[in-house]
Amino acid sequence: MIVCLAVVGHENNPLYIQSFTESDDALKLHHIVHCSLDVIDERVNNPKKSSPAINEAFLGLLYPTENYKVYGYLTNTKVKFILVTTDLDIRDADVRNFFRKFHAAYVDAVSNPFHIPGKKITSRTFGERVSSIVKPFGLNSAS
Amino acid sequence: MEPDASIETSSMIRVAVIPISDVTPLLFRDYAAMLIRHHTVSLSSISSFYTEHQKSPFAHQPWESGSLRFKFILGGSPPSPWEDFQSNRKILAVIGICHCPSAPDLRSVADQFTAASKTYSSSLVQRCFAFCPVDSQLEDESVKGSNLILFPPADRQTQEFHLQTMVQDIAASLLMEFEKWVLQAESGGTVFKTPLDSQASLSSEEVIKAKKRRLGRAQKTIGDYCLLAGSPVDANAHYSTSLELTRLTADFFWYAGAMEGSVCALLMDRMGHKDPVLEDEVKYRYNSVILHYRKSFIQDNAQRVSPLSFELEATLKLARFLCRRELASDVVELLTATADGATSLIDASDKLVVYVEIARLFGELGYHRKAAFFSRQVAQLYLQQDNKFAAISAMQVLAMTTKAYRVQSRASIGPSNDAGQTHADGGKVHHHSIVSLFESQWSTLQMVVLREILLSAVRAGDPLAAWSAAARLLRSYYPLITPAGQNGLFGALVNSAERLPLGTRCSDPALPFVRLHSFPLHSSQMDIVKRNPAREDWWAGAAPSGPFIYTPFSKGEPNNSNKQELTWVVGEPVQVLVELANPCGFEVMVESIYLSVHSGNLDAFPVSVSLPPNSSKVITLSGIPTNEGLVSIPGCIVHCFGVITEHFFKEVDGLIIGATQGLVLSDPFRSCGAAKFKNVLLPSITVVPSLPLLVSHIAGGDGSVMLYEGEIRDVWISLANAGTVPVEQAHISLSGKNQDSVVTVASETLRSALPLKPGAEVTIRVTLKAWQLSKTDSDAAASKGMPGSSVRQAKDGSSPLLLIHYAECADVKGNKNLCLAREPETVSAPPPGRRLVIPLNICVLQGLSFVKARLLSMEIPARIGEACSTQAQLERGNTEQVNGSERHADRLVKIDPNRGSWGLRLLELELYNPTDVVFETSVSVDMENTSNQENLSDNISAEHGEPKTRIDRDYTARVLIPLENFKLPVLDGSILGNSFQNNGTSGSRNNSFSEKNIKAELNASIKNLISKIKVRWQSGRNSSGELDIKDAIQAALQASVMDVLLPDPLTFGFRLAKASSGDINVDREVKSCVSGDSIIAHEMTAMEVLVRNNTKEAIRINLSIACKDVAGENCMEGDKATVLWEGVLSGISMEVPPLEEVKHAFSLYFLIPGEYTMLAAAMIYDANEVLRARARSDALDEPIFCRGPPYHVRVSGTR
Repeated sequence: MIVCLAVVGHENNPLYIQSFTESDDALKLHHIVHCSLDVIDERVNNPKKSSPAINEAFLGLLYPTENYKVYGYLTNTKVKFILVTTDLDIRDADVRNFFRKFHAAYVDAVSNPFHIPGKKITSRTFGERVSSIVKPFGLNSAS
Repeated sequence: MEPDASIETSSMIRVAVIPISDVTPLLFRDYAAMLIRHHTVSLSSISSFYTEHQKSPFAHQPWESGSLRFKFILGGSPPSPWEDFQSNRKILAVIGICHCPSAPDLRSVADQFTAASKTYSSSLVQRCFAFCPVDSQLEDESVKGSNLILFPPADRQTQEFHLQTMVQDIAASLLMEFEKWVLQAESGGTVFKTPLDSQASLSSEEVIKAKKRRLGRAQKTIGDYCLLAGSPVDANAHYSTSLELTRLTADFFWYAGAMEGSVCALLMDRMGHKDPVLEDEVKYRYNSVILHYRKSFIQDNAQRVSPLSFELEATLKLARFLCRRELASDVVELLTATADGATSLIDASDKLVVYVEIARLFGELGYHRKAAFFSRQVAQLYLQQDNKFAAISAMQVLAMTTKAYRVQSRASIGPSNDAGQTHADGGKVHHHSIVSLFESQWSTLQMVVLREILLSAVRAGDPLAAWSAAARLLRSYYPLITPAGQNGLFGALVNSAERLPLGTRCSDPALPFVRLHSFPLHSSQMDIVKRNPAREDWWAGAAPSGPFIYTPFSKGEPNNSNKQELTWVVGEPVQVLVELANPCGFEVMVESIYLSVHSGNLDAFPVSVSLPPNSSKVITLSGIPTNEGLVSIPGCIVHCFGVITEHFFKEVDGLIIGATQGLVLSDPFRSCGAAKFKNVLLPSITVVPSLPLLVSHIAGGDGSVMLYEGEIRDVWISLANAGTVPVEQAHISLSGKNQDSVVTVASETLRSALPLKPGAEVTIRVTLKAWQLSKTDSDAAASKGMPGSSVRQAKDGSSPLLLIHYAECADVKGNKNLCLAREPETVSAPPPGRRLVIPLNICVLQGLSFVKARLLSMEIPARIGEACSTQAQLERGNTEQVNGSERHADRLVKIDPNRGSWGLRLLELELYNPTDVVFETSVSVDMENTSNQENLSDNISAEHGEPKTRIDRDYTARVLIPLENFKLPVLDGSILGNSFQNNGTSGSRNNSFSEKNIKAELNASIKNLISKIKVRWQSGRNSSGELDIKDAIQAALQASVMDVLLPDPLTFGFRLAKASSGDINVDREVKSCVSGDSIIAHEMTAMEVLVRNNTKEAIRINLSIACKDVAGENCMEGDKATVLWEGVLSGISMEVPPLEEVKHAFSLYFLIPGEYTMLAAAMIYDANEVLRARARSDALDEPIFCRGPPYHVRVSGTR
């Protein structure tokens, strides 16, 4: 189950953070997302020579903490997507797929002429679309 | 669990350093610092202190390359329960530090030290270092035998050398003790226990197990000592044995310990060289260490003790060993595992240590956010301990996290960075501030951190830190804090401030937000003008003097950059407007706010202001420059909430820029309803030395001068030098609209008063003449019927401005020398001059308004009398005199009845008085240009005053101006243009050209004429002026100007011929031709017709005379002729010489009394060009008729 999704701008500014849990752990998830930026920074600054494709946007598992796994995704415009999930056994392909869908949703959201780049995404449509992507994700992996 | 653990820790000899008898912490730290420098002592250096008592167990000790390593523990530490397991945990030596001046009795010092070192049962060597002993103490023999070592007072270098020797001595002693211990241990008997081994009632099984394990444990411990003794090879040998034995006895805990030791030995052997193979080896072995520590976990005593801390410690050691960017992922994995494991640690302090270490390692790795996260965990652990010191620690740890969360206090950013910001180029700073704005969006995290800092600071009793945290929280996140929360923070600020001494400074500003609003320009009274030394008129500016409006070279000059420049003067108060905003829900009381001047050459005056909730205010901050130079005003010093802070304008600007880009939560000024954001650039401000200061004062009040149109009035302006420097150069010029309304300025008065000393005053006269209101203005005024419109007009700058440029040094060059002596840098730039702008506030009221002008021709026929009116034409000057004298008499235009007024034309001006005062007008014709005589008459008339026409309010009056006098005496070609002379030869070809010439000539004459006509008016006692009606007159005259200006070529006159006197020059004073009673019907009346040639050439004419009766019928011819005549009356050919008069006599016999009109007419033969032009005839052969004015003859009946 996805507990948190975040979009972080190229200056490491949060553009969108949405948690999908009932419990009040927003702060904890904020911390996790914030900390994962360290890993992304590190991966971006020291790309592994052995990495298969340079153009790969999917950063893979950033780090596992306590009960969570954090995945990252970096767009060409240096916007980071961060996914926090409680599913401990999860296939990279699923996550990659998810990020691709999420990326499309994000692109649509920022293509809105009324959206100011660098500003937080407040579009309700985006939120609805994201939740529609998030829901089946948990189900797929569960099945 | 211990902080700072690394693989090498196993090889360090732990030495407790304890203060003995009253050493101030500062001194203790100082001495300890000296000691700590000797943490590594090479074996080669201690060989001189070392004596081999028996065969050393450290067979492979590397005497050349090896070393002993010390770990000094300041203040000592309680014994660890794991001492047996890891010998490096033992305190093996104790060093006491004593400051002799504060401990006079050395014996008691020795005793104290002995007592103190007793608590360290494991210690093998004890020494007490006593610094700075006095001579008496040095001679004290009583302590000779003890461990007390006196360091005689010496310079620092000597002392350090002494200390080093002592440390080497300790090292040698320790080495010998180690040897002793190892030999003892090998011989057996020692039992090695850890808390892991069950403490209670050893069962027989346990005892056997312990016995079995003893050997392996002993070997491991010996290995430990070998490591401490700096002999890795020996250690390795013992560890290998231990590994074998412990594995056999399944003593996994000790196995792991031995493995750790062996890794340490390996590293020691390699002397710090690292290579991937070694790294892999270490990694492999440590993984096994971790694994075995985990294996040694015993469920039984898990509640009491667990090897988990060793496992974590080992993990951290490995992580520290690997901690490099390239291996980040490995390290992160290890650290994550550690963090996960730490949650199950029982001991809070162990947990603390683990988190501290994790945070440090993450920080080292460059994972600042993670480091911050774990630091926060540490702080939370500290906060769980409910004591002040823990709270202080928590606060300090949190302070370290602020950088990662971008909520750091400005104090921690450091002055160097700050200076860089202020001096760096605009763009870079901007970038930096924007980035920090981006990061500042993690508001959830940032607020939590700040709140925790506030909490810990309150608990730690650090009011300044609490104040700073509350200030940062309030300033940055007020939109996210509820009003109740804001009030809470307000309370925190106030409470903290109460605990702070008065006048405490904090680097973090709280409220209010302060931004630069504007720099009020110098009032026009004090304008400063840069002097252009190259020019005499220095105020003309440094504008490019070339022919081009734009020169690319001037573009690069600093003056032309968009940055504003301001000049302030030493000793003259300046003002800066700043805007304050309080977006919070409580009232902010700013106790004082003043400009913060980093350059230190401005005395700023504090202001106190109170800001109600959600409000903003623009206030004026003032100061007085004290020294010349540049002034930098980066912000304001604000004393608010009991603490003094500095608020920088740049930060608020960045904040507002961020707000416009949506990066910051909200714009504090906008939310308070302040005006829209405008970016005020901080100008570069220069302070110049004192300048003179002229202050103007208009006599009779500085209000506007109310003038009616055309009114002329003098205004007295007094100028005083209010500065401290004399004015040595001054120049008056005019600017603004309606400059021509200033008639004269007595600039000589000012010039003669120079140099104007400080305090001196000069009064100059300015003569003003009110201008005409324009058509639209007057219309508007009329439609409103109010003078209000004209008052409004006075405001919108239609008044002229009097500019006075003045400066200190009259001679720019001389000044240069002066400046050279004063300050070599400003040689090129003389001190600026100043400009005083005196607005001449003229409020023009609509005065007499001109309605229309008409040219009237009067046709009053003349009477025929003995004195003929043609005399008027006879001698021009004389008639003028007559006229003049007439005017003397009664100031009215009198018409000579004998002369008639055939040629007289009157200009009628219709004037309307729309004002509410009475005007009196008088018309004068100035004849200054004609002759002296006329001048005289004019003067006389001026003295006596013209007849006045009174025009009441809302009435219209007409003023008549006789124009006859303007006739020129001679009809001349020169008047009609020179072209006539050519015309004869070149024909009509030049006609158009000549006509043009005529026009020009005429226009000139008209102008001349018009300028002579003056309509003066007077209203009340002190308003007087002149009506500007030139245009109107010109328009009226334009059509018939020829007739007005030019005389006819011939003038005709009739008179009664006196039988007695044939003389023409009749005495004019005789009023003989008064009435018509001299002509009686039925009598022969002798008459003369006079023909005068007004041209310069003789004219041949054919004269004819006609007489008409009242009905206008010719009464001399035809059937009903009523007049008989004698002489010739028609077809009289005669030639009139130039400028002369010819008379022709005849007689008439009137049959019937009544009114008759005599007319003379002439046809001119061979008219020349001049005549033809005058007659406006084009045809060359057309005869020209000349008609005289009608003369009235009144024939009375018989007497």
